Amino acid sequence: MSTDMQPEVERRLRAALTARAELVQPEHLAPLAPTTAGRPRWQSPWVLLATAAAVLLVLGVVFQGLSRDPRSDDVAPRPDERVELELPTDIGRDWKTDEYTTPARLDLDGDGTREKVDFLGEPSKEFDGRTRLQTTLSSTGEEAYGIAELGTTIATSALPPVDADGDGDQELVLLRDEAYTGPEQGSYPLVFDLRDGLLVQAGVEDPELLVRGEVTVPGTETEFFEMVHVHDYWIEDGSLHSSRSVGTYASGNMTLFAPRASVVDAWTWELGDDGVLRHGDPGCLVKSRDSTRACGPDPADTPTSLPVERASYVGVGEQVTFGDDRTGFSARIEPGADPSLVVDGFGRVVEQALGVPEPQVGTTQPTSVFVDGASVVVTSASDPTVIQVLTQDDDRLVLMDPVGEIGLASSDDQRTWLTAYGAVLSAIDAGDDRWTLWQWMMVSRTEIAALPWGTVCFDDVDAPTSVRAC
Amino acid sequence: MSVRAAGLGIGTEPPVDITELYAAHRLPLVRLAVLLVDDLASAEDVVQDAFAALARRPDAVKDPSKALAYLRVSVVNTARSALRRRRTARAYSPPHDLSPPSPEDTAVLAEEHREVIEALQQLAPRQREVLVLRYWSNLSEADIAQTLQISQGTVKSTASRALVALEKAMKATTSSGKGER
Repeated sequence: MSTDMQPEVERRLRAALTARAELVQPEHLAPLAPTTAGRPRWQSPWVLLATAAAVLLVLGVVFQGLSRDPRSDDVAPRPDERVELELPTDIGRDWKTDEYTTPARLDLDGDGTREKVDFLGEPSKEFDGRTRLQTTLSSTGEEAYGIAELGTTIATSALPPVDADGDGDQELVLLRDEAYTGPEQGSYPLVFDLRDGLLVQAGVEDPELLVRGEVTVPGTETEFFEMVHVHDYWIEDGSLHSSRSVGTYASGNMTLFAPRASVVDAWTWELGDDGVLRHGDPGCLVKSRDSTRACGPDPADTPTSLPVERASYVGVGEQVTFGDDRTGFSARIEPGADPSLVVDGFGRVVEQALGVPEPQVGTTQPTSVFVDGASVVVTSASDPTVIQVLTQDDDRLVLMDPVGEIGLASSDDQRTWLTAYGAVLSAIDAGDDRWTLWQWMMVSRTEIAALPWGTVCFDDVDAPTSVRAC
Repeated sequence: MSVRAAGLGIGTEPPVDITELYAAHRLPLVRLAVLLVDDLASAEDVVQDAFAALARRPDAVKDPSKALAYLRVSVVNTARSALRRRRTARAYSPPHDLSPPSPEDTAVLAEEHREVIEALQQLAPRQREVLVLRYWSNLSEADIAQTLQISQGTVKSTASRALVALEKAMKATTSSGKGER
């Protein structure tokens, strides 16, 4: 967008927000009642009932739900906290199934014969309409249907069925993938139960615990990363389970710094008579990409094995070659009063003044920072605090600007080094012989920022291969 | 109800007078919530939730002058939860709303404002929050950062990206609107 347009956008935004907000006038609000210490009027069950009735009118659907007992310390207005069930309307009979969609087969009515459930997509330009679920029940020959919003009508298929209410029939499980619908990532399962001839989507109590993906811990957002819990769900032996990592991990720059195996809180979900999925008490599991096991005593995450061995360097007058003849490049430090770095590769020879005393260039390319061209790490043989990362931008070398939560330079309480495997790492002294380990990544064409891996211990921080779990 | 004394005060007076706060700030907070959750009924629920949370922990705000900021944080967080719940719970929305309009519905937003509000609804929750707090609540970057519990740098970058996304969404809304006519 042109920045010239921004003042106009800002003006329109301000005006629209004001206009929208002012549509809400005092007379539109539920009556303000005199407050009493015992039960203000806005807490009255009649007000709640009236509100619920109004919502019923608006939506034209049936609500079932739960309410909790009033608490003696409730003195302010409360919302209706019931979980809502919505019954489908019989629409979409003429919608079509697409060639990539696979019907589901499961025993919805519990008669021992599996029904075939077809998925018909609502036509729309973006293929993001609703999906009609329809089947003929083997026990009665009657039709049953439901409506789902899956984010896409393309290639619909079901997850394995569950019997979450333990009544002997099966519930249909479909996947709602947020990747199709907006900026949020992740997915969650939708469970459909046969109730009075309709496939009714189950409500979910604590829906935030039944998702797959990364969920940000509020208050941890920084410019370049945030801390997340990793959530997952799965179906095993006809039961629906979900989990949330106990630990939090840095996520940013399209990278998740998760350990090899995580300790998770895990829940099993059961479907109540009221059509609402609820989880039981959490159990403890250790989950990795390809296995799940019960926790032992004192469970802990298994860290990713991160090679931390230091790279070697060459000095003035020496040359180092990276990669092969076709995609590689060479780097050398030209002697002189102010030694310069010369990079030869990708069809260009580029020279860059360094301003570094006794410069030396790493013999490993910092590939974790930049690979679409030449990139090198420069340090000083006489000044251990100096470390620079340079990347090629056409016919120039860019001295990358460290931004974000930590600085790049080494100091008494920070070590920064290039590893023999092409990562630029920083260890920050966290006290008690513990160090937080950070990895540097490119965040813009001229900037690098570090994301935290976690806490480690070193027998000798200046010999990084002595790294160990604390 | 049990209340605790505030600060060095003596007696059983609560730290903040919730009834007074409710009377004074309910309308602006509902307006803030309606900009975040789109409809009045949800907005009123969100604000009720915020007051309920304060009522359950009356000592959470020791300084009455901070009560509005506390409620604002609560409204933003509750609105986000409401949107998440709504996303999870919805299975069907009727193709045509046949119910009688609410009084608020009868007041129509001008076309140029409607385009902006529709575009705003397409943004990520965090982006929408930052824009609403900045351009309607007129909060400083520091206050927005405190409200959303993010850094000022993140507020700045989020606002910048949100304006870009908003303009794109407005253009898309305008062009699709033209196409439909």
